[in-house]
Amino acid sequence: MLSMSDTRTNEEWLNDLNASGEPQEAAIADLRDLLLRAVLFFFSRNLGDLERLARDEILQLAEDCAQDALIAVMNHLSEFRGDSKFTTWAYKFAINIALMTARRERWKGISLDQLSFADDGSLAEWVMRHKSPGLTPDQSAIQSEIRENIREVIEQDLTDKQRRVLIMMVFNEVPMDEVARRLDTNRNAIYKMLHDARRKLKNRLQARGFEVGEILAIFTVQR
Amino acid sequence: MNRDRFERWLRNIYETQDEEISCTECFDLVSRFVELEASGQDAAAQMPQVKQHLNQCPACRDEYETLRDLRRLEEDGEIPSSDDLQDLIH
Repeated sequence: MLSMSDTRTNEEWLNDLNASGEPQEAAIADLRDLLLRAVLFFFSRNLGDLERLARDEILQLAEDCAQDALIAVMNHLSEFRGDSKFTTWAYKFAINIALMTARRERWKGISLDQLSFADDGSLAEWVMRHKSPGLTPDQSAIQSEIRENIREVIEQDLTDKQRRVLIMMVFNEVPMDEVARRLDTNRNAIYKMLHDARRKLKNRLQARGFEVGEILAIFTVQR
Repeated sequence: MNRDRFERWLRNIYETQDEEISCTECFDLVSRFVELEASGQDAAAQMPQVKQHLNQCPACRDEYETLRDLRRLEEDGEIPSSDDLQDLIH
């Protein structure tokens, strides 16, 4: 069954949300329902993140996320440029809040230390691990050299913070928002740290003459 | 790190640009990106910086994929009701 929310144009959404009285109340109620659907849609695809919660707790969390998303949408209403459907623009606030909430639930109770390598020896161990079988001696030597170069950059060229973030995210697969939350920073700052780390790694590998095709061929030779 | 992840990470290293947009900029632009895709246009060609960021950033990519799929369902009039979605939570 179609509701008003399904049939409003962008202009009608903005008019109604900026109105007062009954039209605004109806629009807010419709918007809240759509945001709740977006949150539930995300949760239903990421139930693994929420497995420690009872169903009622998940549904309450979804209501809370929808409410936070509604507030975010209303606060940013003047920034809507009309270059997408209004609902597409609004959904992204709900999805963003749902994702951060779900990831936080998943990693709750895991200490920061557990998310990082315990000591410097772990990287060296990683370099030695996962030796691909079936390589020629030359290929094997190149693969070792690449890993060694990566280890050197990580250990010597990255700042402590870059190294910590990279190990958490790339090696231990901790979600970005959880890393940001634990380090009391935000997604932009984490992305910038990883970007700087990637640039250093790229520069080193290219300076040593390793090209992407050659590297990927060697690391995927077993396929 | 398994081989798939390592391979992807190597690719990410090589596809690194000197200038990349931030997560906030990506968030600001992603609804337009999804809308272009929904209308059959080549969003990646029109907004290469968004595409590049989505390739590099797992958090923004997860959000984009959910938004894209939700947009498709909406286009087809098939977004489940809150009640139906609640039934999927167990």
